[in-house]
Amino acid sequence: MKKILALLLAGCMAFALCACGTAADPQPADDGDTAAASGDTIVIGVFEPLSGDNGAGGKQEVLGMQYANSICPTVEIDGKTYNVKLEIADNESSNDKAVSAAKTLISKNPSIILGSYGSGVSIAASDTFAQAGIPAMGVTCTNPQVTEGNSHYFRIAFLDPFQGTVLANFANKELGAAKVYCIGQLGNDYDQGLLNYFKQAAEQLGMECVVESFPENNSDFNSYLTNAKNQGCDAIFAPTSISYAQLIVEQAAAQGINVPMLASDTWDSNVILGAAQGKDLEIYVSTFYAEGGNADFEAGIKEWINADSTNLSNNGGNDMLAAVTVMGYDAYFTALEAIKAAGSADPAAVMAALPGVTYTGITGEIAFDDTGDAIRDSAFIKTANVTDNVWDFVAVQGIE
Amino acid sequence: MGKKLKAKAAPEQRAGTVITIVLLAALYIFLFALDNALPTNSTTVMLIPVLQKGAIYALVCVSMNLLNGFTGLFSLGQAGFMLIGAYSFAIFSIPAAQHPAVYQYFDGGIIQFSIPEAIGGVLGENAGAFLGSILCILIAGVVAGIFAALIGIPVLRLKSDYLAIATLGFAEILRAFFQWDGLGKITNGSNLLRKYTNFHNIKIQVGGMIYQLDSIFPFFIATLSILIIVLLVNSSYGRAFKSIRDDEVAAEAMGINLFKHKMLSFVISSFFAGVGGALLAMFQTTVQAAPFRASMTYEILLMVVIGGIGSISGSCIASFLYIACSEWWLRFLDSGSFMGMSVPFFRDGFRKVVFSVVIMIIVLFFSRGIMGDKELSFAGMMRKRKKKQEAQAAKAATGKEGDAK
Repeated sequence: MKKILALLLAGCMAFALCACGTAADPQPADDGDTAAASGDTIVIGVFEPLSGDNGAGGKQEVLGMQYANSICPTVEIDGKTYNVKLEIADNESSNDKAVSAAKTLISKNPSIILGSYGSGVSIAASDTFAQAGIPAMGVTCTNPQVTEGNSHYFRIAFLDPFQGTVLANFANKELGAAKVYCIGQLGNDYDQGLLNYFKQAAEQLGMECVVESFPENNSDFNSYLTNAKNQGCDAIFAPTSISYAQLIVEQAAAQGINVPMLASDTWDSNVILGAAQGKDLEIYVSTFYAEGGNADFEAGIKEWINADSTNLSNNGGNDMLAAVTVMGYDAYFTALEAIKAAGSADPAAVMAALPGVTYTGITGEIAFDDTGDAIRDSAFIKTANVTDNVWDFVAVQGIE
Repeated sequence: MGKKLKAKAAPEQRAGTVITIVLLAALYIFLFALDNALPTNSTTVMLIPVLQKGAIYALVCVSMNLLNGFTGLFSLGQAGFMLIGAYSFAIFSIPAAQHPAVYQYFDGGIIQFSIPEAIGGVLGENAGAFLGSILCILIAGVVAGIFAALIGIPVLRLKSDYLAIATLGFAEILRAFFQWDGLGKITNGSNLLRKYTNFHNIKIQVGGMIYQLDSIFPFFIATLSILIIVLLVNSSYGRAFKSIRDDEVAAEAMGINLFKHKMLSFVISSFFAGVGGALLAMFQTTVQAAPFRASMTYEILLMVVIGGIGSISGSCIASFLYIACSEWWLRFLDSGSFMGMSVPFFRDGFRKVVFSVVIMIIVLFFSRGIMGDKELSFAGMMRKRKKKQEAQAAKAATGKEGDAK
């Protein structure tokens, strides 16, 4: 009896595998090859984490692109209208999965690739895109190494040296901090890079920094926070990913830490607001966009998010707008501009056209410098309003 | 008697070897065509990374199987040794000109040379990349082996679960150690190592033509390494390993030095894990310590279990199947549509759900894996067929006799 059951299950599984094999084979060919051949569909690859540590942020970034695609699903080149199709591949926030996710996208013949949230995976996939001759545009990856020395990688976000300096300036000038406790995840290049730049800028401004790192999957931050308190620090800088940020916020509130907490673009998420709601905390983040910047756009995207339960759950359960979503929206239109400027869907032509592309997006003017980075001279500083559960705009901070 | 048996088995054995060699040659010709001649379309674009990663994981699985399946040492340190291999490879093959960019937070690092470049300076760029990476892979294996020997002295005195816990802990410590800023000038701390030699740099020049060896190279290293492990398993050392696995007391009574043989198996397994780590580094084109966590070891262990603990061919089959499913065949489950139809529950993450269910079914109902502890051998198949034919012939003969009566 057991043998029969086992055989039955084996049969089901074998069938499933065969079905997968045969189904997967022709499908990409249909999408990719014929599209390029018939020439009425242009594919934009979306290389984002939809699971893993950065899954939440990646999904929000994709939402912006999907919304942009829903309001502008076509592009006109030489009087002919082409459909634009988004092909999404999940890089699982992991460098060892990045290469095959990148190859999956390449197999769909994209004209340009957008992404990723998280610089590590972007750097890991960079060579794969370069070998295929496909240009890529980082949306919110902020590590300098993404574009440095690469002629095919562009980005519309500001960089970590800039962001670290902005935050150090803000801590010094606006918060009047003299000693800052800096904490980041060990082994995370994003956290460690920002800590490094923040420390450099802070020490130049005459502030003192206490830097500590916590290991991966750490869930108890009490000893770190106690240390911050004992050292007499008057601000905490924690540029961590959202999952740790949530824990840090909750445990800081439980410990009654009342010094201001500073963080980078990753913290600009409704998840953090949810964690901080009703608690006696002062949280500041630097980010790309402050809600309320463009009312028409916000009304449109919120309606779109609320209309679909999948979108709503991808946005974390409510319609609050994350800066990464807005950046995703701008990235899509910048990519369309590049395709229009190139006058064709050919990746090589798009790559050649990209350095000259300019676009006025929701987050401001977008233009590229010589290394392929966006020319941005200011960041938005926002603070968490713990009573109304919204981000309040504080200032536009630049570097002096 | 023994001689007679051997003489009887010889023709099938020889034919089996010939078939294996012919199939391997066909595989290599196909890979060469894939790298150079076949047109680039959506299938070949995906086939190359799946085959590369499959070959790498096959090697790592076989190395784990040597320890867990043939010596009976339940070790969970595989990801740690791969980490050492990956870092050793990357550190020694980053071109000198790229050091300031890669080690940007650590003033360009302290190792200021690159082995492929040094060899390339004498023998030309292509030969440098090829020989340099082989040398770096060997270094990666040796460094992993040395670490294994050091850690083996205290750890191999432990048994079963305790050994697993100790090796698992060791791998975790190693990861934190490589991420430590104090070693940043060598390991680049938490940041990525990049710009070193990868599979795409491996090419040969024959006449005026340059041929890519993207997927042949990992297959070549993996085949060679697995062949060495097979030879080892079939040698007197291999028999000693198996006897330790089956009964330690009996093995000791037979005069086998337990500690020496365990250490030998541990170091050799770690050597090949290091080689696998170096190949993985080449595949990924960047190295960071973070992905080499315990879950990577579990993934490898899972492949070994699916393939069959104690079966080398099982490990190879399972790793290719596993990689192809996770990286390629099941990706359509995330896409939201199936054969042109829109399927609402096919969305991000569904792939992982289906994959987990498939794995659970395998582990529940096929607990001995695809191959059990048997090997896929053409000689064995032919022997079986011959036996069957003989049996049929005998049956037919007895049947005739019966009829005659």
